[in-house]
Amino acid sequence: MPTAQYTSLLDNATLARVERMRLLPVRRLTNRSRGEHLAGKGGTSTEFHDYRDYAAGDDVRYVDWNIFARIQRPYLKLYRHEEEMHVVILLDASASMQFGQKFTRAKQLAAAFAIMGLMNVEKVSIYACQHAGQTPLLLPPCTGRISLRRVLEFLETIPTGGDFPVELAVEEVLKQHRGRGVAVLLSDFLTFGDLERPLNLLFSAGLEVCAVQLLTPEELRPDVTGDVRFVDSETGRTIDVSSAGELLGIYLDHLTALQADLATMCRQRSGRFLALDAETPIEAILFDVLRRRGWAR
Amino acid sequence: MTWPGFSALSAAWLFALLAPLILFYFLKLRRPRVDISSLALWRQVISDQRVNSPFQKFKRNLLLLLQILLLCALTLGAMQPFWPSGADRAQNIPVLIDCSASMGALDQPGGTSRLDAAKAEVTKLVNNLLPNQRLSLIAVDNTARRLTDFTDNQRVLLEALNGLEVRPVPSRMEDGLRMAQALTRMAAVQTVVLITDGNVPKDIDFELPFRLTYQKLPPAGPNLGITDFNARRTKTGWDVFARLDGSAGMQGLVEVELFRDGESLKRESVTVAADEAARLAFQIEVNQAASLELRIRPDGFDSLDIDNRAFLELPAPRPLMVYCPTELSSYRHALQAMKDLDIYPREGDADPAAVDLRFTDQPLNSGPKARVTVHTGVIPEDVQGLVSIEEDLVDVVDWNRTSPLLRHVQLLDVQIGDNPVSQPGVGERDYELAGYEVLAQGTKGPLILEKPSNTGVDYFLLFHTDHSSLPYRVGFPILVANAAQIALERAALSEAKSWPTGTLPPQKVDADAEFTIDEPSGHREAMRSTSDGTLSGVAATDTGRYVIRQGNDTVAALGVSLLAASETQLGTVEKLQFPETSVTTSSELVRTDRPLWGWFAWAGMALLLGEWWYFQRRPGGVAV
Repeated sequence: MPTAQYTSLLDNATLARVERMRLLPVRRLTNRSRGEHLAGKGGTSTEFHDYRDYAAGDDVRYVDWNIFARIQRPYLKLYRHEEEMHVVILLDASASMQFGQKFTRAKQLAAAFAIMGLMNVEKVSIYACQHAGQTPLLLPPCTGRISLRRVLEFLETIPTGGDFPVELAVEEVLKQHRGRGVAVLLSDFLTFGDLERPLNLLFSAGLEVCAVQLLTPEELRPDVTGDVRFVDSETGRTIDVSSAGELLGIYLDHLTALQADLATMCRQRSGRFLALDAETPIEAILFDVLRRRGWAR
Repeated sequence: MTWPGFSALSAAWLFALLAPLILFYFLKLRRPRVDISSLALWRQVISDQRVNSPFQKFKRNLLLLLQILLLCALTLGAMQPFWPSGADRAQNIPVLIDCSASMGALDQPGGTSRLDAAKAEVTKLVNNLLPNQRLSLIAVDNTARRLTDFTDNQRVLLEALNGLEVRPVPSRMEDGLRMAQALTRMAAVQTVVLITDGNVPKDIDFELPFRLTYQKLPPAGPNLGITDFNARRTKTGWDVFARLDGSAGMQGLVEVELFRDGESLKRESVTVAADEAARLAFQIEVNQAASLELRIRPDGFDSLDIDNRAFLELPAPRPLMVYCPTELSSYRHALQAMKDLDIYPREGDADPAAVDLRFTDQPLNSGPKARVTVHTGVIPEDVQGLVSIEEDLVDVVDWNRTSPLLRHVQLLDVQIGDNPVSQPGVGERDYELAGYEVLAQGTKGPLILEKPSNTGVDYFLLFHTDHSSLPYRVGFPILVANAAQIALERAALSEAKSWPTGTLPPQKVDADAEFTIDEPSGHREAMRSTSDGTLSGVAATDTGRYVIRQGNDTVAALGVSLLAASETQLGTVEKLQFPETSVTTSSELVRTDRPLWGWFAWAGMALLLGEWWYFQRRPGGVAV
C-alpha cells in the first residue's frame, strides 16, 4: 500500500533527508538576542564548546562533575550560544518563473531551505513576490518542526504569474523584514533592472545573500533560428530578431556575463550564487550540488 | 561616353513590382511569435555593439536586398539593354558577302579562307541581332544572288550562310548593290554592309542611295596563279603561251606541267621574281583537236588553288571557208592568192549554210551565215536615215589605221565614186549610238563602218569597191587578207585561248535548235539557240572543259579558267569610288550593338542561387 506523501513538493524520502541537513552560511549573521532568555525565548545549545574556571556566581548546572571528581577542581562547561539566524526565503513568483520547471524547482528549493532552517531551530520566513506594486505573499517567521506543515502548505499554494521584478521585490521584502541571517533568493534573475542595489540592501540588512538562479534549458541553450518575434511573458513587450540563430553566441556571452556578475556581486557581499538548470532533479540539487558547494551539510 | 540603350524600354514597368515585393517582405515579417520568460538578455543581445555594426544591419535585411537585386536584374534583362557600338541601329540590313575567287585564299597554311572569315563575321552579326533588326544575305561575285529575305530567324540566316561557297569568278559589285537597292522597295534600308577581302574593283559604277559600310577582312597569304593561257597556230602545230602572276612580293620556284588530253607533255621549273609576271611558252606539234591543261605548283605556301590550273581547247585544223560571189571578181581574185581557203560558190559543191567569211554586195540576210561579213556598197537599214549616197567623187579623209580590217591598208589617193553624205546634223556620235564604229571618213560622211555582233563582226563599205580605184591599189588585197585573218581569229583557226570564268562566249550555231552543254562538274545543261543562230548566256562558273553538243555532234569545246589577274594578285582597295562619293574601309570589324540581357539573366540566376545557399545553409550559433 503506497505511503501518502507528506507534501507534493518533495517525496517522503527526500523530505527525510532534508530534515537532517543544515544550512552553512558563510558568516553567521545572527540577531542580538542571546540564549540567556530563560523565558524560553532564545535557544539553549547542547553543543559543547570549551571549559573555563568556575567563578563565584556561575550556574552550577554547567559544572563538569566528572572532571571535578577526578581533579577536585570545578570547571565550567561552555556551550555554543543559541545563535538565532533568520532564514528569509524570497521566492520569485512572477510570470517568467512559469516556464519549464523553474517555479516548481524554486518551491522545492524553498521548501528544502525552510526545512533546514526549521530543523536548525532558526527563524524561517517566506516571501513570494508576484505582482509589482502588491505586497508580497508572506509566511511570517516561524520556527521549529511544528511549523513544517504550515510552511509546506504555504509553498504549495503560492500562485504564479505577474510582473514583479526581483530587484523591486527585494526592496519590498526589506520593508517588512526584520532580522539578520540568510536571504535565499530563488529567481531567474532575468530582469531589466539593476541587481546591485537590492544586494546592497540585503547586505546592509544583515542578510547573507544566497542567490539561486533557475533557468530552463531553453534559456540556457536557446534553439531558435530565422526571423522571430520574442514576447516578454511579464511585460508583453516584443522584440523582433532576424537571423536569431546567428545571435546565439552573443546571447550565450551575455548570459555568462550575467551569471558572472551575479556571482561577483554576491561574493563581494559575502554571499553565494548558484546557477541551476531547472530540469536538474531536486535530489541532485539538494544532496549533490548544495553539499559540494558548501551550502548545506 | 556611350551609355547603354534599351530595346524594350516598356519593360521598365516591372520595376513597379518592387513596391509589392518590399510590402510583402515586411508583411512576411509577421514573424513567428515566441513567448520567452524575459527579453532582458535578448535586448542586450540586440543592443550589443557587434549587432549594431553596419554589416549586421545589412544582414538583417539581406533577404530583401537579394530579392530587390534579383527583381532589378530580371527587369533590366526584360528591357533588353544593349551596349551601343556606334553603328546605326538600322532595322533592315542587307549584307553583301563577297564570294568571288579571291575569297578562297587562305591566310596561312591550313588556315581559314577569307570566305570562312566573312562567315564568322556575319555569324557574329546574326547572333547579336537586336529584336527589331532583320538581315538579308546577298552573295556577290560576278553577279548577285539573294540568299535570304529580310529575316531575324537565326537558323535560316545561318543555314544560308553555311551553304555559301567560293565561286571561281572575279568580283563585280554593281549587281549586288543593285539588288540591295531593289530591296529598299520592300523595306526601309538605311545601311548596307559589304564584307569582302577588299579584292574588288576600285571604281564602281553605281550611285549609292544608302550608306555603305565597307568591312574589309584581314589579308590572305601570298598567291601565284595563271592569268593567261592561249595558243597560236604554226605550220606544224601550236605555240602555247601562259602568263603567271602573283600577289605583292610573291616570288620563288614554281613547277609547271603541261598536259595534253590528260597526259603529261612537258614539265619544267620556273623562277618567279617578286612583282613580275612570268611568261611561259611551249611548242607542241599536233594536227588534230586537243585539250590542253596547264598546272602550276609553287614551292611554298600558295593561298589560292583555283588559279593553279588553266584549260585550253585546240581546234582541229581546217581551211577557212569563204563565200564570195563570182560577181565580186576583185575579191575572189585576192582570195585566190591565199592558202588554206575554201572559196564558195564553186562548181560541184553546194553552198554551205555557214561560212567563216562572206563578201557580199547584196542586202542583208542573203547568202550563207558568216562570222565575218564584208558588205560592199550596202547601207545597213538602221543607218539609212543617217546617210545617203550622192554620185560624186570623194577622197578618203582619214581612216582608223589600227583597225584589224585596215591594218597596213593605204587609202590615200583612193578615188571613190559613191559619196556617202551624212544628213545635216548627223555626226560620228550618231553612228556610234546606232552601234557602228566609223573606220574611214570621207569629206561629207563615213566611208567604212564596223558593227560587231554577238558572234562576229560586219564591215560595211558604204561605197561599192567597183565604183572606186581601191581594187587597183596595193591596199585592196591587204584589206581582203585582213578580213580573212579576222575570220580566222573568229573561227579560232589561227588562235585559241582559254576563256575566263563567267559565261561562255556566244557561239554561232544553227538557229532555233536544241543544244546540250557538258560542264566540268559533270552537270549537263540544255539550251536553245536564238532565231539568228546564236547560243549565248551559257554560265561557266567552274574551271575546266565545256563541250557544246547538238545531238551527238560536238559543236564546240571550250577551256575555261579563272584567268583574272585581279583575283590572282589579291590586291585590295581601301576606298571604293562611286560616281558621287567614296566609301573607305572600316577600320574595325563588324560593329553591332552588344546585347546585355544575357548578363542580367546570369546575374539574376547567381543572385537566386546565392539567396538559396545563404538561407538554406545550416545556421550558426551555439553548439548544443
